[in-house]
Amino acid sequence: MNPKLSSDDLLNLEEMAYQIRRLSVEMICYGQWGHIGGSFSMAEILSVLYFQALSIDPKRPKWENRDRLVLSKAHGSPALYATLALKGFIAIDDLYTYCEPGGLEGHTDMTHTPGLETSGGPLGMGLSVAAGMALGLKLRENARARVFCLMGDGEIQEGNVWEAAMSAAHYHLDNLIGILDYNKVMAKGRVSDLMQIEPVAEKWQAFGWEVIEIDGHDIEEIAQAIYEARWIRPHGSPIIIIAHTVKGRGVERAEFNYQWHTHAPDPQTADQMLKELAITYKRPVQGYSRINEPVKKETFYGGE
Amino acid sequence: MAENKTQKHPISPDRQPDEMRDAFGKTLVDLGREFPSIVVLDADLNTSSKIVYFKKAFPDRFFQIGIAEQNLFGMAAGLALTGYIPFPSTFAAFVARRAADQIAISIAYPNLNVKIPGSYVGLPTSRAGASHNAIEDIAVMRALPNMKVADPGDNRDLAAIMRTAVNTPGPVYFRITRITLPDMFEAGHQFEWGKGVIVRSGSDVTLFGTGMMTSLCLRAADLLAQESISAEVVHLASIKPIDGDLITDSISRTGCGVTAENASVIGGFGDAVSQVVCSTFPAPLKRIGVQDKWVNSGGIDDLFTQHHMQPADIAEAAKNVIRQRKPFQIVAP
Repeated sequence: MNPKLSSDDLLNLEEMAYQIRRLSVEMICYGQWGHIGGSFSMAEILSVLYFQALSIDPKRPKWENRDRLVLSKAHGSPALYATLALKGFIAIDDLYTYCEPGGLEGHTDMTHTPGLETSGGPLGMGLSVAAGMALGLKLRENARARVFCLMGDGEIQEGNVWEAAMSAAHYHLDNLIGILDYNKVMAKGRVSDLMQIEPVAEKWQAFGWEVIEIDGHDIEEIAQAIYEARWIRPHGSPIIIIAHTVKGRGVERAEFNYQWHTHAPDPQTADQMLKELAITYKRPVQGYSRINEPVKKETFYGGE
Repeated sequence: MAENKTQKHPISPDRQPDEMRDAFGKTLVDLGREFPSIVVLDADLNTSSKIVYFKKAFPDRFFQIGIAEQNLFGMAAGLALTGYIPFPSTFAAFVARRAADQIAISIAYPNLNVKIPGSYVGLPTSRAGASHNAIEDIAVMRALPNMKVADPGDNRDLAAIMRTAVNTPGPVYFRITRITLPDMFEAGHQFEWGKGVIVRSGSDVTLFGTGMMTSLCLRAADLLAQESISAEVVHLASIKPIDGDLITDSISRTGCGVTAENASVIGGFGDAVSQVVCSTFPAPLKRIGVQDKWVNSGGIDDLFTQHHMQPADIAEAAKNVIRQRKPFQIVAP
């Protein structure tokens, strides 16, 4: 449980963040739909959660004492599916069924994919479900299991989030850990331009939450924050980790660019993105692995 | 109408122990004793909905969520995901309007084991008016895949529905009328999903009722009998799934029908019956219920008159469909 990561751990977690991004690009290109920006901004967070912090077992996805992750920003599904595949909940090949009939659902469908704790899509709902889970675990006196809820920044414009925040504090759900992927950009522009959410930390504090603010791409900071949230901070209040991130982090054209909120790259663009990612993360340059396979649909999707 | 007595004690409704909401509160306690995994969530209405009985009996399994219905249903989903059987309780108007998205995506889509009571349905609520009178809840809830929907005809029917709901995995929506209804069923009455029951046999017309309207259909049948018209009354508490076989069997014998629901006719029970009738035995069918109007404040009896939902209206509709029926002759005098 020591938050101090060895250099091997660090390398592994970086590798996983890279793989999450790589697989996300491939899925979104192959499925011709998906959210690159919001998948990339939480790659390190998912890497630390699934490969360092969460107490989970891919062989027993419904194990009673497991930690739970609720992906409230369910449009980040490519990154989560990639993580679940890397962790062994699903096969890597399953990723190439993204958005296909009978394949991985565009937004999360817990009845369809082992490792998913909830179904989602409409924003602002996840924290309520996570609070209900945290309450349920408390009733069962399951002291070790934690419920994590990964939210988007624009998402907290939804009133439902604050209803949930209020009740989590009221019921002293210190086994509930929110993580805000504060990537500063929503679907159609910058958060601060479209609907200001600042002051964010003060809002959560006012609602009775413990607040930890970190750089959401710094693996050591993420690990330290989750360790603190889990072992040091809980004394009667829920905890939120405000993770400052960059939407689309890893590919220059997508960084802080709302136009890559929902946008599927064509195979050539995907190829360029994968090469750029490989160079950034100092990995062997691989192109889009399925580039030579026949494309199923005639046009590439570029809209909502 | 007997419901008038609710208007006598608008401030202390506790004086009426036989209202359906009381039966609901007491049945919930009975089930709570039997099923330790039942938990109840409230949005600041426990003395109105009568989940206050559960609160007193099992304070550790009662959770006040405050005036936050979206969170009420979200947290219920989370509790279901940790093995509980939650009953998130509020007025039906807030179930189907305020929290429709949370119920759809957090509960119905993942097929979670949440039992949703809708209190204060249709016309006989209080005098709160259109904002609080749920008329679209049947339509909204039955449109959600995985969701089962029931509207009980009396207190025993309600208790049977609740017991079956607890024993049925998956989401259930059931309606609770605020007023006292006449007993229709004997002790030991059972409820089964997708099963209706003929509560009065007849041969000239079928009156399909759900919820409290079945008892009004029975009174309409009495009125029709005075004119030598033999009306069959079919009670369909299970609105979804609906008993297509019974509907077809009855209307193929009588040749015409009337549906009656304490809700809007748009997308509700009448439409559910129509869907069966159209595809199996097309026949004249009229729908009694709220006809695309808001149900404003008023006395209960007045509201039923205003919305043409009195037994006399049901009887009149029955005579109309009998006239439309082909190739049979008109039975009315």
